[in-house]
Amino acid sequence: MEKVKQKDLILYSGLIILGLAAPYLFSAFKVQLTYLCVLIVLAMTWNLQGGEMGYNTFGNILFYGLGMYLTASVQVGMFFPLAEWTESGGEKTFVHTTAQYFQGIGVGLLVSAIIPAIIAGAIGYAILGLRGHYFAICTLGLGIAAGEIAGGIEIIGAGQGFTTPPFPAEIVDTEARGKFFYFLSFALLVGTFIFVKYIYGSRFRLILNAIRDNEDKAEAMGIQTMKYKIVGWMCSAFFCGLAGGIMGGLIGYIDSTDVAFDGREMGVFMVLMAILGGKGTLWGPVIGATLFHFFKEGLWTLILGWQYVALGVLIVVIVVYFPEGLMGWLREKYPERFGEVIDEKDRKAQVELK
Amino acid sequence: MNKIAKLFVTFISAITLALVSFTSSFAKVEGEYIVLGSAISLTGKYSSNGVHTQNGYNMAVDRINKMGGVEVQGKKYKFEIIYYDDESNPKRAAQLAERLIKQDGVHYMLGPYSSGLTKAIAPVTEKYKIPMVEANGASRSLFTKGYKYLFAVLSPANQYLEVAIDLAVEKNGGKGVKIAQAFEQDAFSQDVRLGILDAAKRTGSEIIIDDKLPKELNDMAATLAKVKAVKPDVLVVSGHTKGALTAIRQISEMKVDVPMLAMTHCDAAKLSKQHGKKSEFALCASQWHKNLSYKDKFFGSGKKYAKDFQKEFGYDPPYQSAESSAALLVFKDAFERANSFDRDAVRDALVDTEMQTFYGNIKFGPGGQNVAKPMILFQVRCKGDDCENRVVAPTKWASDKFYHPIPKWSERS
Repeated sequence: MEKVKQKDLILYSGLIILGLAAPYLFSAFKVQLTYLCVLIVLAMTWNLQGGEMGYNTFGNILFYGLGMYLTASVQVGMFFPLAEWTESGGEKTFVHTTAQYFQGIGVGLLVSAIIPAIIAGAIGYAILGLRGHYFAICTLGLGIAAGEIAGGIEIIGAGQGFTTPPFPAEIVDTEARGKFFYFLSFALLVGTFIFVKYIYGSRFRLILNAIRDNEDKAEAMGIQTMKYKIVGWMCSAFFCGLAGGIMGGLIGYIDSTDVAFDGREMGVFMVLMAILGGKGTLWGPVIGATLFHFFKEGLWTLILGWQYVALGVLIVVIVVYFPEGLMGWLREKYPERFGEVIDEKDRKAQVELK
Repeated sequence: MNKIAKLFVTFISAITLALVSFTSSFAKVEGEYIVLGSAISLTGKYSSNGVHTQNGYNMAVDRINKMGGVEVQGKKYKFEIIYYDDESNPKRAAQLAERLIKQDGVHYMLGPYSSGLTKAIAPVTEKYKIPMVEANGASRSLFTKGYKYLFAVLSPANQYLEVAIDLAVEKNGGKGVKIAQAFEQDAFSQDVRLGILDAAKRTGSEIIIDDKLPKELNDMAATLAKVKAVKPDVLVVSGHTKGALTAIRQISEMKVDVPMLAMTHCDAAKLSKQHGKKSEFALCASQWHKNLSYKDKFFGSGKKYAKDFQKEFGYDPPYQSAESSAALLVFKDAFERANSFDRDAVRDALVDTEMQTFYGNIKFGPGGQNVAKPMILFQVRCKGDDCENRVVAPTKWASDKFYHPIPKWSERS
């Protein structure tokens, strides 16, 4: 790998310090900051799939929702009978002790990373043969189907929804819960970023790009594209599952179609954020998600009732004026800042030729 | 790459500045205003009921403020509500509750619309010890979680249609009946279903169809086809406003003959107006009806409330609006008895609430649900093309006799 440049080092350590200090600096915004971390993770993992590999998926919401249900189920199931916890009447009250709560969520998150990855492998094996729109439509179906199925499974609450274990009451500090989920999601963000950055410096990314640019040629060159496509999707699923698990605990209530397999919102948002920032870039999804979140939190309430119209307009504007996203736009404007060497003489010569 | 790094740093610092300047106004009581917060569904699948709820809140705020406001420690205060749109989405609702409490500094909450959203908000208000009086979350599971700061002015969901089954059994000469039921996949409707299951067990009735309906409810033809085939004695449908509208539309289209049709949300869906004669004989569970004889000094009687509401918003108030208005009366009463803005003092005052409002008597049980008010049933009846909801049970308030069985479609004009 290339050596980390000094300026990058300053940037990264600055961001990490900011990230660690954020919940103390902006104490009232902890939940929004947690959302932001999760949104960035979702945008980055979507970008691996849609940006680098060129397989536009709406199916990542499946892994997010799975992660949510899995974490909560494991967290409850480890200590109490799950069926009684989610039973609609819910006459019995079970209380997690502090240790149980954290053990539960730890194991739950582990499961919620591994199982979605395995499922992504299995589904990928079946459907990654599809290309272009066919793949997109197929994955769109996955999320919707999962929502309907989850809405019918009694043991995870079915239509009643699943109330996740409340934060242990023994911890008196009302800020503790917010901090816990913030740092959890921040850790996930850092982990995801390091992983994606590593991929960006690897041969794996080149293969994904080759698949995006011309899959047939890539195959002709002897790359087993199917294998790489599946592995790529499994990586996405791994982090999506974790993100879902954290969100489930944070929201405290899982509903099959509105919270977990929320393709209408989260499923669309993750695509939108990646495209807004610029797909196929490392920083694009990060910037896209951040801008999007600020737009949403800042303007949403000012235009009550019209926010989805505004969102629609935003989508149109992004697609029409920034088809390559903000990063793509910047790159076109200031190519030299992206390390692209431009031969001034050559450029002038070309201009004159025209 | 390092040049964009600079750009990025600028960007981050701009955001930081923006965030810091955001954190400004924090007050539960601002000047002469007591600020309440509420996340309401103004868009999404619950938007019509969300608006009913909001209208109910606004109506009560105006009325209370006009009539002198709330007196605490000798000073008069007025109510003010901060609204956010939760988009009928529990995730959003939980986030907004957090925002209302942490950023807007709200110390007292009014509930959202629907059980699912209340379920999502309750853990948040509970965590910050914020008293919440809610008027639209009826799911029984809300009241068994040991919440200490949640108060509901309505009767729990499982009581909605139990009475209907008792009525059917009574009409059947005390013998059990055959029930067909279809419920939306959401917290509220599933709880209504539990009530029916209990009633069926108690009366020895048999459930022959037990269907689940999707959330965006636009079609239930499959269920109705089965109903046509097996001929149950009672058909029970619950799925908020859309469920009620869809059921009536398709029952009349498919000419499904069933002796008794029991539903929820008929008045919120304005069934008698929207479907007119097609909706005749539908039996509906309701938290409130304007003909009931309860009274208070702010709205007078139910009839007066309905008249004023009609004048202000241009439609007859469904019970969702009435119960929402009642929530503010409860808050006013609690503030005055607590004579303080201390959250725990207000909470303790809420526990001791015992009052009559135009909407009904209110007294909270240990779980926070209202135990002082029975559910009522009304039936849609038409004179010519003019249809109206008439109370048929309980007998104390019944203005009409319960019409049973529903005539066959072939015999209806």
